[in-house]
Amino acid sequence: MLKIENLTKVYPNGTQALKNVSFEVKDGDFLAVIGLSGSGKSTLLRCINRLIEPTSGKIYWNDQDITSASSSDIRKIRRQIGMVFQQFNLVKRSSVMTNVLTGRLGYVNTFSSALHLFSAADNNKALASLDQVGLADKPHVRADSLSGGQQQRVGIARALMQDPKLILADEPVASLDPVLSHSIMKYLEQLNKERGITVICSLHFLDLVHRYATSAIALKDGELVFRGLPKQIDDAEFKAIYGQEAERVSIL
Amino acid sequence: MAKTKTTTKTATTSTLVVLASLLLPGFGQFLSKKRTRGFLVLITTVVLAYLVNWSLVHQNIGKIILGSWITSWLWLPLVLFWIWNVLDTHAQSAQKTFSLLPGILFVSIVLYVIAWNVTAVKFTRLIERFGDARSVATNIINPDMITMTVNGQDKICAWNCMYIYIGDKLAGRPVAGPIRASDNLIQIIGSMKLLPVSKWQVGLGLTAPGSKIRTFVAGSIIQTIAMGLMATLFSTILAIPISFFAASNIMARIPGGTAIYYFARGILNIVRAIDTIVWGLIVVVWVGLGAFAGVIALTIHSAAALGKLFSEEIEHIDTGPIEAVTATGANLIQVIRYAVIPQIVPSFLSFSLLRWDINMRSATVIGFVAGGGIGFFVIENVRMGGYQQYATALWAVVVVIILVDYISGKWRESILKDQTPKDDKKKHPLLNYLRLAFYVVLGLLAFIYCWNLSEINIQNLFSPGSNFSQLIKDFVMIDLSPDVLQPIIQQLIVTIFQAFLATTLGAIFAVPFSFLAAKNLTGRSQFSVWIYYLTRSIFNFLRSIEALLYVVLFIFWVGVGPFAGMLALAVTSFALIGKLFSEAIENIETGSIEAVNATGANRLQMIVYAVLPQITPPFISYLLYQWDINVRMATIIGFAGGGGIGLTLTTFFGSLQYHKAGTVVFFIIIIVALMDFASAKLRQALV
Repeated sequence: MLKIENLTKVYPNGTQALKNVSFEVKDGDFLAVIGLSGSGKSTLLRCINRLIEPTSGKIYWNDQDITSASSSDIRKIRRQIGMVFQQFNLVKRSSVMTNVLTGRLGYVNTFSSALHLFSAADNNKALASLDQVGLADKPHVRADSLSGGQQQRVGIARALMQDPKLILADEPVASLDPVLSHSIMKYLEQLNKERGITVICSLHFLDLVHRYATSAIALKDGELVFRGLPKQIDDAEFKAIYGQEAERVSIL
Repeated sequence: MAKTKTTTKTATTSTLVVLASLLLPGFGQFLSKKRTRGFLVLITTVVLAYLVNWSLVHQNIGKIILGSWITSWLWLPLVLFWIWNVLDTHAQSAQKTFSLLPGILFVSIVLYVIAWNVTAVKFTRLIERFGDARSVATNIINPDMITMTVNGQDKICAWNCMYIYIGDKLAGRPVAGPIRASDNLIQIIGSMKLLPVSKWQVGLGLTAPGSKIRTFVAGSIIQTIAMGLMATLFSTILAIPISFFAASNIMARIPGGTAIYYFARGILNIVRAIDTIVWGLIVVVWVGLGAFAGVIALTIHSAAALGKLFSEEIEHIDTGPIEAVTATGANLIQVIRYAVIPQIVPSFLSFSLLRWDINMRSATVIGFVAGGGIGFFVIENVRMGGYQQYATALWAVVVVIILVDYISGKWRESILKDQTPKDDKKKHPLLNYLRLAFYVVLGLLAFIYCWNLSEINIQNLFSPGSNFSQLIKDFVMIDLSPDVLQPIIQQLIVTIFQAFLATTLGAIFAVPFSFLAAKNLTGRSQFSVWIYYLTRSIFNFLRSIEALLYVVLFIFWVGVGPFAGMLALAVTSFALIGKLFSEAIENIETGSIEAVNATGANRLQMIVYAVLPQITPPFISYLLYQWDINVRMATIIGFAGGGGIGLTLTTFFGSLQYHKAGTVVFFIIIIVALMDFASAKLRQALV
């Protein structure tokens, strides 16, 4: 279980990205985080694995305090938390296989990984992960030769290599063609349903939230303005989250 | 059944290609459809074999005596390379990849051993002769700029002395003695002198004829600035018409234009391949030693370089606006005015400014061969052991070049940025005209001043020196007789290895420093910010001094010869590679670093998996680029005593053996073009 208490983040330039945010995520949940651009969604996700240091507040992951973990402890925590990015964040010049294997770095020793040596088990695991996302035929091509949708699937395979208990997905479909959005979301849903991996996913489109999420939170200017089930987001809630000007759009 | 057939077939093909590679390196790879790889392996083997044999016969490199049999131990790595090639073929035919590392290792052994010997590397000299270097270093650290007279004795008043002097002055204490600009500084910057008035002053009725007036007599660094400005102006004016002939899209519209295009491009490439300094040697025979010769040399090379850049710019203009303006019913002049000129003017200006920067750098050393400017001042004094003058000149060069670099960079930035049109309407139109008139007059005055200062004399162009006709006649008579060819090839090999070693050395030192000069990796603490600015400044400082000026320094330190030249190139390489590398590091994508961090990787793993894959290709590409530059530079460092082909060339020029000089220049063009081509191809393959 992930528990977030009074999380606040103030950037050095004074921007208050998160204000006293508190919520809980039960194991096996598919939590959607919604809100306008700049409402603090990315900051929230990055505070959970401490890619961004929170200013104050606590984050507990299975009763372990993430916010006060030492730098070696945080790496042990990070390896259980997969992350999927909006811009995929693959090392473009490296092969697909190498990119997927980087998901294993938290588990293997530094010396052999510096020499690019991975065990046969890890290699097989990487191939299996690629197979899972439907890219079994592409291990040796360069990452930047893939299409956007394929790159994001490599991103998911990389997260799978970590044997994650939790996946943080930061707008995983925002850079993709709307048609591909469902294919990526289905992979996340499958991991959530079949392997019981908790997913926290920030999303733009409300209908994706309705379709995939089991619960939802909404941020507005860094504050938590909604907590509940996706179906509870009616027109009134919608206007409260996105402002009076906003119109509902749907994809597909 | 069918399956076994294919296996036997592949097995036979496999044996066949392995045999092929055993007989002729690269042949097997060629047969297994790896054409480029095979070709490279073959070329490498042939070149290495030639080099090993050459270095044994001419330089006794790697010599070992086995009984009555004299041979070179360098054959051993070559044989190992051959074996690697066979194994590689075997792997290739089985559709497997084979490590390149052993192949590269064996090639490197041969190359570095030969490079080390032909450039006469003796690092111990750097320490043994440190005493000699120290006197130069003392001069550089405490340059002779201000002279102080204490008890009737003149002494150099360097930084510390100046500090005390100013402190005393400010506190109202008595000073140690009166100070004045040193003779050295006067020669470099200039002084006020009583001179007869010029004709125009009399003509305007300002003074009586025959009277004297205090006039500023410019020193050598001011002359250098004038030379650089004039050369940039002339070359820009020349390059504009030339570039139209060298633009394929324009020439394609004219009957027979394609032929003109290839001709123009060919000429531009040949002129560009000959360094400014070599042009200086030729021009001196034409118009005689002096600043004018320097300006012409700079102009010729710069016009060719700009001509190429301009023509490429013309080739890349967007045809959309031309179509649109034509569609409005505009005529040809209007189309050029409104659709073509707005597209090319900013980039032409920006290239000219870039060239100004380069020309200023070249202007500081063109005096070594052509006369004029600070280069002439340096070489004159160094010949008489005047390292004090050299040290002061270095300071002047650093200040001027860093300034020019800064101005040119800022100016280019503002040209290429989206300009927000100023709201001129609010001001009075007369004011705008006045301002424009002011700039025009200022520009004209500067132009006339620089014209006079750089001793431009158009008449000299049409009354060439007595040897010039012989030079033109002899220059194209390429002499390929063995007794001419032999020393040229020998020196060319030395030259290439100097460049090779200098690039390696420069890079080895530049890599760690480039990490310190990368803003995104140095961190946020006060200390690391200091480190960042310090390393950046070191790079800029070292980069502002031309290789030829470093050669002078190293000659004093390690003696005349290829080693001094190599060290000079290594220093310039260090500065440029360091700058380029640090910029490459600053340009890395942070997304993948974030992603690798998120997997729980530690710092080293992050560097290996997210940073290295991103920086290795640009690093290698910059190395090849530097190598290309160094080959060009290595052909001229001989003019200051840095060894290599430049030395041979000056000797031939000095003894009026122009046919041999022409042959050397011919080979330089070929080598430079070859290296340029190879480096560009390799860089292309990397991207």
